[in-house]
Amino acid sequence: MLSRCIFTLIQLTVMFFKLNPIAGQPLYLQLMQQIRHATETGALQDGEQLPGIRTLAEKLVVSPNTIAKAYSELEHEGLLELRQGSGAFVCVKRRIRSLADSVLVARRRIRDLIDRLRDDGLVDEEIRRAFEAELLFPAEVASKR
Amino acid sequence: MLWYKAWLETRSRFLVSLGTLTIFSSIFFHHALYISCLNTLPCPEKISHSERISEFHRLLFINQQYVVIMWILSVVLLGMGGMVREKALGTSSLTLSLPVSRARLMRVRVATGIFQAIALGVVPWLAVLIISSRARMPISVAQVGFYILLLVGGGLIYFAMAVLVSSLVSGEYTAPALAFGAILMGAMLFDNWLRRFNVWRLVTGDFSVDRNTFLLSKHLPWPGILGSLCAAALMLLASAVAVQKKEF
Amino acid sequence: MTNQFVILTHQLTKSYGHCKAVRGLDLSIGRNRITAFLGRNGAGKSTTIKMLLGLIRPTAGSGEVLGRQITDAEQNREMRKRVAYVAEDKPLYGYMTVEQIINFARSFYSDWRIDVERKLLLDFELPANRKVKSLSKGMRTKLALLLAFARRPDLLILDEPSEGLDPVGIEYLLRTLVSCSAEGVSIFFSSHQIAEVERVADHICILEKGSLLMDASVEQLRQSYRRIDIVFSALPPEHDFRISGVESVKTDGHQMRVFASRNAEAVVERAQELSAVSVEIAPVGLRDVFLETVGEN
Repeated sequence: MLSRCIFTLIQLTVMFFKLNPIAGQPLYLQLMQQIRHATETGALQDGEQLPGIRTLAEKLVVSPNTIAKAYSELEHEGLLELRQGSGAFVCVKRRIRSLADSVLVARRRIRDLIDRLRDDGLVDEEIRRAFEAELLFPAEVASKR
Repeated sequence: MLWYKAWLETRSRFLVSLGTLTIFSSIFFHHALYISCLNTLPCPEKISHSERISEFHRLLFINQQYVVIMWILSVVLLGMGGMVREKALGTSSLTLSLPVSRARLMRVRVATGIFQAIALGVVPWLAVLIISSRARMPISVAQVGFYILLLVGGGLIYFAMAVLVSSLVSGEYTAPALAFGAILMGAMLFDNWLRRFNVWRLVTGDFSVDRNTFLLSKHLPWPGILGSLCAAALMLLASAVAVQKKEF
Repeated sequence: MTNQFVILTHQLTKSYGHCKAVRGLDLSIGRNRITAFLGRNGAGKSTTIKMLLGLIRPTAGSGEVLGRQITDAEQNREMRKRVAYVAEDKPLYGYMTVEQIINFARSFYSDWRIDVERKLLLDFELPANRKVKSLSKGMRTKLALLLAFARRPDLLILDEPSEGLDPVGIEYLLRTLVSCSAEGVSIFFSSHQIAEVERVADHICILEKGSLLMDASVEQLRQSYRRIDIVFSALPPEHDFRISGVESVKTDGHQMRVFASRNAEAVVERAQELSAVSVEIAPVGLRDVFLETVGEN
């Protein structure tokens, strides 16, 4: 599933997660996606340690429950390994690495789409809202001209 | 550290009162020695020794009148403060969120005040005793003890009255004014109709003094002192109840 | 099992004559969470907090904090050993110095953390020998917060903690809150700073005119609370959109704006059934959730 944070990823650098409280998506889901993406692009390597719950909560200034839930869900998915007393460690499985390539392909396609939409005369803000609307509510939106 | 807080809150009042009472008593004592020709300077008139002693004791008795007024003033000011005043100042939320009961807060405040009241009664007289022994004119310790006991034993009721008023009224000036007003009113009313029960006359030694020698020569008026202390205790109890019921 | 809740009230009521400051409040604040208490001025937040701490007696109803009855003086006092509270006006004794008041506070609590006290003293740049009455408002706020944060209580209650702080101070406050929460402290704070609440709160309770209007998880709100803007060529009656989950419906010309706390898909379906020209869905920030909830009342 494509990450919802496509637009925010442009500013993303390693370990600088950015959570948006008004994005219409629970923060823990946003964090999960950003961690997942980091592992897909190789920003987070297999075996690397993520910051502790308290440290990351303080850094991002969000409730530790958010971090805890994200980590625990990712552990459930198998992406993270939570070791008692040591912290959260990434364990990227081999098959996920191929996703990194799919993501790169996807981004190229999106870049093309955005260029085409801009040629059509749409402003960036309109493009973003259209993406948000589609992602938030995948059912068909009645839009007649 | 509630005691520390109570001390910090009353420190200035206490020290100023202590200083004033002690200095006043000492100066008055010197004056009394001089007037009654009991100091070391040669005396201009020819009076008998016993007459001089008697005059001296009369002056001491007068000293007690002034001391009583100042002591009551000081003790009423020391009785101010408390939770109701803290509410007006805005600090009651802090004090009441401490893990201490309102009863304990009141106990510490009252005990601090009582210790200070006792000190204010003892220290000035102690200064007088010291000065007198250096002037080789020793006052009988028994007399001094008598005065102190009258003052503090009989006078704590005034402190209790101040505590009660400050538990009902929060104004910085209205509370002491009301307390003084009540005390003066009480003294006047009692003097008119129930002179025997007038605490003011009790503490100044009016009921105990021998008008010839001006010595406190009668028996210690225990019923009066105990009655006054009981009344004080009742007022303090009423203050505790008032604070317990109050909403902050 | 009351262990799950740090604060539990049952029909808590406070009346002043005919005026009801708090009406039949049923609060249940969970352990190990950051809960924000939102409400307009005069909604009854401070009154509620004061009842919990025994400063005010409830007219009716009951409450428990950390499993202890708030109306029993002795139980309340026991509970206060494990609760840190900073009142709205950040009360401090003006006649004490910074050092004196810290020593004073420290003497009452066994959960005091001297290392945290020293760090905060340094970070807040509080002069140890200055009297409190000569401190600026910002410094007084920081000192009042220090007295609470230098402890590890089970529950931290803060009434408008960010008032009097500059943006740097607010950021530091939020970071400290989060840090406390990570150490197992349950936090219950009231605030008007919705932007701040939005970032750190796990749960919110909205109080209006003494009644609880909303008690919800913030993540749940992010997931389900939606604003749906619909354009019609012919505006249908409003009550067609009064579906379960809809909080408010507003119309302006051909446009209709629907706020739904859940079930947004049903609203979209209905719009399509009624031949809407366009339908747009957007997430709703906490500020708008608050305004909608309180406004509708």
